[in-house]
Amino acid sequence: MMAMGLTRLVAIAFALLLVSILPLHVSLAGEISSIESVPDLQKLMYVVVDGYPCVRLLNLSGEIGCSNPGLNKVVAPIIKLKDVKDLVQPHTILVTVDEMEDFFTRVSSDLSFASKIGGVLVESGSNFQQKLTGFSPDKKFPQAQFSPYENVDYKWNSAASSIMWKNYNFPVYLLSESGIAAVQEIISKKKMKHGTYTSDVAEFNMVMETTKAGTHNSEACLQEGTCLPLGGYSVWSSLPPISVSSSNNRKPIVLTVASMDSASFFRDKSFGADSPISGLVALLGAVDALSRVDGFSNFKKQLVFLVLTGETWGYLGSRRFLHELDLHSDAVAGLGNTPIETVLEIGSVGKGLSEGINTFFAHKTRVSSVTNMTLDALKIAEDSLASKNIKILSADTANPGIPPSSLMAFMRKNPQTSGVILEDFDTKFVNKFYHSHLDDLSTINSSSVVAAASVVARTLYILASEDKDASNSALGSIHVNPSFVEDLLTCLLACEPGLSCNLLKDYISPTNKCPGNYAGVILGEPSSKPYLGYVGDVSRFVWNFLADKTSVQKGNTTSVCSKGVCSKTDEVCIKAESNKEGTCVISTTRYVPAYSTRLKYKDEAWTILPQNSSDSMGMVDPVWTESNWDTIRVRVYTVQHSAYDNTVLIAGLTVTTLAYIGILAAKSLITKALKQD
Amino acid sequence: MTVAAGIGYALVALGPSLSLFVSVISRKPFLILTVLSSTLLWLVSLIILSGLWRPFLPLKANVWWPYALLVVTSVCFQEGLRFLFWKVYKRLEDVLDSFADRISRPRLFLTDKLQIALAGGLGHGVAHAVFFCLSLLTPAFGPATFYVERCSKVPFFLISAIIALAFVTIHTFSMVIAFEGYAKGNRVDQVIVPVIHLAAGMLTLVNFASEGCVIGVPLLYLVASLTLVHCGKMVWQRLLETRNQSSASR
Repeated sequence: MMAMGLTRLVAIAFALLLVSILPLHVSLAGEISSIESVPDLQKLMYVVVDGYPCVRLLNLSGEIGCSNPGLNKVVAPIIKLKDVKDLVQPHTILVTVDEMEDFFTRVSSDLSFASKIGGVLVESGSNFQQKLTGFSPDKKFPQAQFSPYENVDYKWNSAASSIMWKNYNFPVYLLSESGIAAVQEIISKKKMKHGTYTSDVAEFNMVMETTKAGTHNSEACLQEGTCLPLGGYSVWSSLPPISVSSSNNRKPIVLTVASMDSASFFRDKSFGADSPISGLVALLGAVDALSRVDGFSNFKKQLVFLVLTGETWGYLGSRRFLHELDLHSDAVAGLGNTPIETVLEIGSVGKGLSEGINTFFAHKTRVSSVTNMTLDALKIAEDSLASKNIKILSADTANPGIPPSSLMAFMRKNPQTSGVILEDFDTKFVNKFYHSHLDDLSTINSSSVVAAASVVARTLYILASEDKDASNSALGSIHVNPSFVEDLLTCLLACEPGLSCNLLKDYISPTNKCPGNYAGVILGEPSSKPYLGYVGDVSRFVWNFLADKTSVQKGNTTSVCSKGVCSKTDEVCIKAESNKEGTCVISTTRYVPAYSTRLKYKDEAWTILPQNSSDSMGMVDPVWTESNWDTIRVRVYTVQHSAYDNTVLIAGLTVTTLAYIGILAAKSLITKALKQD
Repeated sequence: MTVAAGIGYALVALGPSLSLFVSVISRKPFLILTVLSSTLLWLVSLIILSGLWRPFLPLKANVWWPYALLVVTSVCFQEGLRFLFWKVYKRLEDVLDSFADRISRPRLFLTDKLQIALAGGLGHGVAHAVFFCLSLLTPAFGPATFYVERCSKVPFFLISAIIALAFVTIHTFSMVIAFEGYAKGNRVDQVIVPVIHLAAGMLTLVNFASEGCVIGVPLLYLVASLTLVHCGKMVWQRLLETRNQSSASR
C-alpha cells in the first residue's frame, strides 16, 4: 500500500512539476490540452487517424483491393495529389474523392507512377455528393457473369469506374471526419518554420496475412488458412408460420426478397443506402404493416420473406438458399416441398421521389400468367393508394432483361421463375453512387421507401388473399408506419444513433454502433442454428424482427425462454439478447448460411469443391475470400530529417566534451592556485 | 527521430553532469553518497510539494498565474530544504573535523568542502534533469518528433534538454554559492541563491507566450551563466584567501 501510494505521489509530483517548470502547452484539436504524462505526449506525437481501410480480397484467379506490399509498415511523407510532380521516393498521396477515379485509373496504367506510391489517404465528405456527377467503383454491369441473358455489355451503372475490382499493391484508407481533421492539422503545422528539416509522414499498418503467406488466390489462401470466405447469414420467415410437422395443407409460396449487404471500395464504409438497404427497410416496413392484419392463415397463398446477404459477392445468399432448398436441409425446413409460385424482389427504392410523385418500375422476368398476376396486384395496390401519389410503371421493354438483382440467381436456377423486381429506376441506375461509400442516408428519401413499402404490403395482401377488390376495407387498412421506416433508416444507415438505436436494441445487443453493411466473412461452421456471436448485427435483428412480426400467439400465454431455447418445436425464442429472458413465439423464422456453393466446410477448414456442370452459377463463381489481418492502423506524425538527428547527437557529444575539458581546465587552475608559492 | 537524436538530447541535458561526475565526483565515494542523498532530498521535496498542490490540480492550461504561484511555493520550499541540507552538512562537517582533530589529522580542506557543495548541487540538478527531461525522452527514441505551437522552431525534446541543462548548471553552482554564503555568513550570497532559483523558475513562464522560448531560453541561460560566473569568482576569491592565509601562517 505504501509503495503504491509513493509511486502515485511521485507520478503526481512528476505531472505537477512537468507542467509547472516546463509549461509548454499544446492546443490541438484533440482533447489533450496539456501534456500531463508521457502517454499523453505520445498520443500527441503519433496521431492515430480514424477511417476505413480498403482490404485485400481474393478469388479463384487472383486478388483485388489493397494491402501493404510487404510484411512491414509503410511510412511515407504525405503529399496532396495536386502537388505531385516527379516523385523520387514513395509518398503517401492525399486524394479527394472526386480525384479517385482518375487517380486509380492512372495507377493501373502507369506502372512507374504506381511504384512511387507508398499509400493513399482518401478525403471524402458529404459536400462531394453534390459536387460529383457520379461515383461508383463497381462495374457497368455488376456481376454480369450471373446474368440470365446474353447482353452483358449493357450499362446498368453509368457512373461505373470498376476501380474496386483491381489489385493495388499499396494501402488505401478512407479518412473519417476526425481523420481528415487530424491530417489537415499536421499538414498545416508544416507551415511552421521547422518545415525545412521535417516531413509529415503517414504510417500504414495494413499487412495482410495472404501477403505474408504468399497465397495469392482463394484456393491457396483457404488451404493455408490465411483467409475466410465471404458470406454471412440470410434470414427467412413465413407469414403465417408453417407447421413443419404437418405436411398437408401446403400452399403455393409468394416469396418476397430483399438484400442486406452492400459493398464499396472501403470495407466498413458500405452503407448501401439506396442499394440495397432501402429495399430491406421497405420489406421490413411492409412486414410490420402486414403484422397488424389478420386472416393470413385462411388465405390461399403462403407469404415468405427472405432477406439475403452476400449478394454483392456472387449472389451468395440466393444461390445458397436455392441450394439448401434442393437439399431439403434444416435451414429451409417447411419450404422444401412447396413450389415457389412467384418472387417479388424489392430492389433499390430510396430514390423514387420526383416532383412529389414516387415512381417505381416493375422489372419482370418473363411474360407469364403468374407474372401478370403480380403486376395486376401492384396495379391494384397502386390504385388503392391513389391519394399517396405513387406510380408503378412497367420497365422499358427495350431493357435486355431484369437489372442486376437476386432474381438473376433465381432465374439462372430455374428460367421459368416468375418474378418481378421493384426498382426506382427504369433503364439504368438512378443511384449515382452505386456500391460506393457515398451511397448514404442523405441520398435517399424516406417517403420513397414508405411508398414502396405501402405498395409491397398491399400487393402481398392481394397476392395472398387473391382478392382483387381495390376498395376492400381490409386492404385499405394496411398502412405502413412512416416513423418506423424513418427510424429504421437512421438505425441501419447512420452512425448516430446507428445500430444502438432503441428500435434495434429492443431486439438485439448490437456489437457495433456504426452499421457497415459489408457482407463480412463466415466464421466457424455454417449452420442453420449458428452461434449467434458469428451472426452479424443486422442479420440477428432481421431474424428477431421477422420472428416477432410474423408470430402468432396461441391464447394469451407468452412463455419465457431461458438460454434461447423454447420447448415446442414450432416456437422460437426472440429478444433473448436485449432482455435477459426472451419470449417464446410461434414463428417459422430461420437463418440460412450464405456462402459460395463451391465451398465446403470440413474439419474446421474450407475446401473448394470441383466445378460441377449442373451448377451453372458455381461455374462462374469467383469464390470471394477476404484475407485475414491482425490490426489495421494508420498514424500520422512528423519526422526529422536524419541530418538533423545527427546534428543533435553531435551537439550532445560536443557539449559533454566541452564540459569535460572545461572541468579539467578548472581543476588544474584550482590546483595551480592552491599550490604553495 | 531515431536513437541518435534520443542520445543527443540526453547528452545535451546530462552530458556536462556526466563529465562532472566522471572527472570529479566518481573519484571519492563520499561525494557519490552526497550526490545520492541530495538527489533523494530533492525527490522528497517533489513528493511533498505534489502532496500540497494536489487539491488544486489540474491547473488550467491557459492561465499563467497559478503556475507562478506554484513556482514561488516550490522555490520557497526547496530553498528552505537547502538550508536544512546545509545544517545537516554543517553538523557532519563538525563531527568530521573533531574526529580529524582527535586522530591528529588535518581538517577538511576548502576544496573538499567545495566539492561536497558541488556534489550536493549536482544531485539537485541531476534529479531535476532526470525528472523533467530524461523521463520525457522515451518517445524521442521512436521515429516521430514533436513540436509545440508555442515554440514552433525547436523540437520539444531539444528545448526540454536545453532548459534542463540550464537548470542543472543553476542547481549545481548555486549550491556552492549557498554553502559558502552560509559558512561565511555572507547575506548577499545567502539571498542571491533563492533569487536565482526563483528567477529561473519564473523565466520558464515566458514559454507561455507564443514563441516565448526565443526570449525565455536565452534569458534562462543568462541566469545560468551569471550563476556560473558568480560562483567562479567567489571560489577564486576563497582560494586566494585560503592560499594567502596558509602562506601567512607559514
